Amino acid sequence: MTTATNLRTVPLVRRYLTFTWLVLGLAVLIMIVAAIAQPSIVVDTLVTGGMWALLAGGLALIFGVMNIPNFAHGELFLIGSLVGFTVFSPIQDAILENPDAALLKVVGPFPGMIAAALVGAAVGVGLEVLLFRPLRKRSRDQWVMNTFLLTAGVSVLLVNMDRLVIGNDFRGITRYWDVPPIRLLDVSISVDRAMVFIIALITIALFSLFLQRTRVGRAMRAVAQDEAGAQMAGIDLKRIFMLTIGLSSGLASLAGAALLFMFPSYPDVGLQPLYLAWYVVILAGLGNVQGAIAGAFIVSLLQTLTVFYVGVGWVDVLPTGFIILILLFKPSGLFGSAVKGIWEQ
Amino acid sequence: MANPSVANAPTSPIEADRDATRRHRAALLLVLGIAIVLPFVPPFTGQDYQRWLVGAALLAAMAVAFDFTAGYINVVNFGFAAFVGLGGYTSGLLAVDLGVSPWIGIFVGAALAGFVGLLTGMLTLRLRGIYAAVMAWFVGLAVMGLVRNLPDITRGSLGLNVPLLLDTSDNLPYYYVILGMLVVTLVVLTVVIRSYIGLAFRAIGQNLQAARASGINPTRYLVLNFALSSAFAGWLGGFYAHYYGILTPDVMLTSRTVEVLAVAYIGGRGSLWGPAVIAFPLSIAVELLRTQFANLPGLYLVLYGLLLIVVMIYRPGGVAAAARSVDEWIARRRRPEPVETPRAT
Repeated sequence: MTTATNLRTVPLVRRYLTFTWLVLGLAVLIMIVAAIAQPSIVVDTLVTGGMWALLAGGLALIFGVMNIPNFAHGELFLIGSLVGFTVFSPIQDAILENPDAALLKVVGPFPGMIAAALVGAAVGVGLEVLLFRPLRKRSRDQWVMNTFLLTAGVSVLLVNMDRLVIGNDFRGITRYWDVPPIRLLDVSISVDRAMVFIIALITIALFSLFLQRTRVGRAMRAVAQDEAGAQMAGIDLKRIFMLTIGLSSGLASLAGAALLFMFPSYPDVGLQPLYLAWYVVILAGLGNVQGAIAGAFIVSLLQTLTVFYVGVGWVDVLPTGFIILILLFKPSGLFGSAVKGIWEQ
Repeated sequence: MANPSVANAPTSPIEADRDATRRHRAALLLVLGIAIVLPFVPPFTGQDYQRWLVGAALLAAMAVAFDFTAGYINVVNFGFAAFVGLGGYTSGLLAVDLGVSPWIGIFVGAALAGFVGLLTGMLTLRLRGIYAAVMAWFVGLAVMGLVRNLPDITRGSLGLNVPLLLDTSDNLPYYYVILGMLVVTLVVLTVVIRSYIGLAFRAIGQNLQAARASGINPTRYLVLNFALSSAFAGWLGGFYAHYYGILTPDVMLTSRTVEVLAVAYIGGRGSLWGPAVIAFPLSIAVELLRTQFANLPGLYLVLYGLLLIVVMIYRPGGVAAAARSVDEWIARRRRPEPVETPRAT
């Protein structure tokens, strides 16, 4: 991290001609070119980017505060989609029966999303109480690797519980809001996608405000910086941990419910969101929440470009190559600090 | 209470050490003997059971190769299944397109997987801990994406039909081939671990800074370990291809890696033999579950997930640690009691 005094002494050109700014600038440039040539690229990037930001922000938060590299983050997405579907199905039936109920049509999708966020948060807290707390009590040796494997076990368990109990089929909806698409920049955007983007923006804004401006958010960031120090300052670690994992899980589940029309609920639905969120977090630098939100849009841009110009199948291959390239130049990620954290030991 | 009934009980620490070595060797030979005669003991004489035995031995060997990285240098190769698949596809394609004998092909596959492992290692092992694990995962995803997207070469998701290793579809000869490969894997990797190279591995795994201070070049050893493990993964993948006769990109799925990982950790990290031994009862139990409850898909993976979670939280040493404590108990029983000196009054 460059300190304030350093900033003043570094020449202006050198300060902004860093690798990070180069990549960011390039991304913005591509967006501008795309906006003129192919506006749908911009729309796709923003819509999916918003949701990846929710997932990746939660992933970065739980890593930053609790040092847990959550491999089960995708399964919270799955839980969200499942809850969203269960709650929305009867509402959808009601809408079909009374096509004139305008209010129901407008607010109908929200109960499912809110329920998903709450259930996701509850599952997250359950994981903390049942799994992470006992492990923390037993040993904190190699905590990062152990929790990574632990969450891998949780992921396998949840995916197959879903397969076992709920069943191995797709549960999805075609759309949340049954209204004609809106036109913007010569592209027609379905209302669902526009709404998802708005929901993502509002949630991200609230999330950032919470982290930056409230006492609890400050406490969370304090724990992320120095656990022992935060404890000495009188912060109740247990509470912060539960809150962190609840928040992170709730965001993932909210994304799962909100994207139900794109990702129907089935046991393996969490895998793609999981590794995309991980792409973002690794690209941005582990544990960096704001970086993750910015990184989500970069990954989403990469994805959209790949799908548009190369083919859907390459969506795993090319972004990966790009991320590996970036890490060669900046091993701690685009927005990562040069300071080595606990997770690299 | 002296124990005079034990014949040739050790009398000195060196003797006790030799005694332990003899005991361990006897135990391993006993287990190997059981593995050799097992196919002739009912119910293992049936073709079904013999097919499961082949699968068990293959899983055992893969778990050993996985443990070589995870248990010693403390890097979890999350792209392990991709290296298995890479070896399988290399050998399979050589046999299909060029008519190369599978017996040569599996070694070429091993060499290629080892080479890609070397590259991946050089790329990712500069990064440490969780970064390396996640990057290996990304590389695995990219390789899987490549295989899926090059149907002209690999036939993609349609599956590649591969000639068999032997001129028979009887499972028994295959069982002895894979048992031999398991023994080779176990012996070679154990020899490496016992050498000064293995000492360096363990030093790096336990404390990288201290290892570096003692004059070990961590990157060189990390990459060596990673490449060797990948080569064995590729070799075993070759067997997989020429035993099952069909390859799809699904061999590289992350869930396959998690399966191997679960066996390795349940068996006991950092023991090599633990995963090899536990794979047999575990995978036979899993196959029984799978056939008994064919209407409940995913049940066996629920079991894997639960076992992995329990091991990670409560029994970090896995089965190997339990066996070690039994061994210590035996050693205590065999050690003569110190002669009691009369207390001065």
